[in-house]
Amino acid sequence: MSVEFIGNDEKIKSELLTVNMGPQHPATHGVLRVEIKTDSEIVAEAIPHIGYLHRCMEKHCENADYRAIVPFVDRMDYLASMNMELGYAITIEKLASIAVPRRAEVIRVLVSELQRIASHLVAFGTYGIDIGAFTPFLYAFDQREKIISFFESISGGRLLYNYISIGGVSRDVSNDLIVGLEKFCAGFEDQLKMYDTLLTQNKIFIERTANVGVMDKDYCYDYGITGPVLRGAGVEWDLRKKKPYSIYNEFNFEVAVGKGLKGCVGDCWDRYYVRMVEMEQSVKIIKQALVKLREEGGEFTTKVPRVIKVPVGEIYMRTECPKGELGYHIISDGKKGPYRFKVKSPCFTNVSALGEIAPGMMIADLVATIGSLDIVLGEVDR
Amino acid sequence: MHNEIVGLLNNRIKGVEATFNKAEVGDSSISVNPAFIVDVCKLLKESGTHEFNVLQVITGCDYPEYLELSYIIASFINNTELILKVKLQKQGDSLPKIASVSDVWKAANWLERECYDMVGVEFTGHPDCRRILCPDGFVGYPLRKDFKSEESYNGMVINPASKMK
Repeated sequence: MSVEFIGNDEKIKSELLTVNMGPQHPATHGVLRVEIKTDSEIVAEAIPHIGYLHRCMEKHCENADYRAIVPFVDRMDYLASMNMELGYAITIEKLASIAVPRRAEVIRVLVSELQRIASHLVAFGTYGIDIGAFTPFLYAFDQREKIISFFESISGGRLLYNYISIGGVSRDVSNDLIVGLEKFCAGFEDQLKMYDTLLTQNKIFIERTANVGVMDKDYCYDYGITGPVLRGAGVEWDLRKKKPYSIYNEFNFEVAVGKGLKGCVGDCWDRYYVRMVEMEQSVKIIKQALVKLREEGGEFTTKVPRVIKVPVGEIYMRTECPKGELGYHIISDGKKGPYRFKVKSPCFTNVSALGEIAPGMMIADLVATIGSLDIVLGEVDR
Repeated sequence: MHNEIVGLLNNRIKGVEATFNKAEVGDSSISVNPAFIVDVCKLLKESGTHEFNVLQVITGCDYPEYLELSYIIASFINNTELILKVKLQKQGDSLPKIASVSDVWKAANWLERECYDMVGVEFTGHPDCRRILCPDGFVGYPLRKDFKSEESYNGMVINPASKMK
């Protein structure tokens, strides 16, 4: 910043200073670069730049056959691979009319809810770090580790699973693992209570997040924002309830909605709080799924041919991922791979809304806002 | 729902040529004349009955003769979704043009930038139509079917013969 002093009592001339936050920055949760024009501590303009993790996954998928696409979708949202796989699998199953056995459906709901908890735990832990609280991160990763080890024992991978395949899942869940998960659920509910006193009701945390980065309902609709951010704005919109896919209609759970308990509706605290309540509800779903899993016997996958026959046509399917609504738009020309493969990424639309609310807030509030959006750059850039 | 929308569009906008593409499998769609895309989107968003208040995605698909854009829009009020399609003829080296809908939904801003970057469609009236995922100096449109990656980028050889066995 160039500041010129003209005499002692003359006006101080200042100009805007451009600061690059990212692409390598702990608060941007990946390789997001935000070009900030600052007027002292105040953000005058913020321009998000993306594309640092662009791998052109859509082109890769168009050159692969339908079964070989599953590992690619894993690598888009690497914190919620199971949900990405589930969305892809049910899209192809609907287009190709492939029936899935009930046990596989139960396992799918089970793993995708576990993955939702794991993803929200990362959001919770790293959000604490953004605000300046390091301890919650350690507790969050301690619990996440248990989920990851469960995934490791069913699929062999700790982050990228290739577990949900077209027609079912690739391995069964044994009874020992079910017992282990029941123990995890009981322990995790106590942990959630601890998080509540540790961070959610913390005075400093509330001061930093309430009334910050407010996005109201109409703003969210205009920018196509979905997921916890939309629910944080007070809209009861969850595809698991509104357009139930898989067997979500058989489960009993509530949709978390931001109510403006600590500030106004749609602020950072609300978005954070929606995730915390969602974890509670996910535990509820997992418990019901475990009961069903004990009852349901049978196959965990249907026999699917090596090359899947998908008829000519197109389909667009949306599912509720931890970060928002994930959509797959697939155009098939009847060959062994898709002709056009398009992913509607929830984080892409969520981060596009950042530029408009940023002007006028402090730089530290911008960090809080980016954290509350919970973006994963692997999915923004694809 | 599709037949109602086709009727509404044909009644209210002259020359829109809305047609219903009924699909045997998968999702049906509605094709419209690209010249009226802004009017169509405004009408579908603001007409009291349909209220498509969310733009989900704008995606392009490359065919040998033409590009096909799909505007997937959804109503979070009526819980419906719709695929709108337009066909843009290719014109040699220059990019096909279509009017931007970024005044209708703000989400269109980035989605159109992505479509321009990946498929190569020029959106007239877009506030800031530049590349978003690829770097600014990138040549070509990766999701076109005739796209070939370059031999070198910024002096670095791509897939050198010595390493490709």
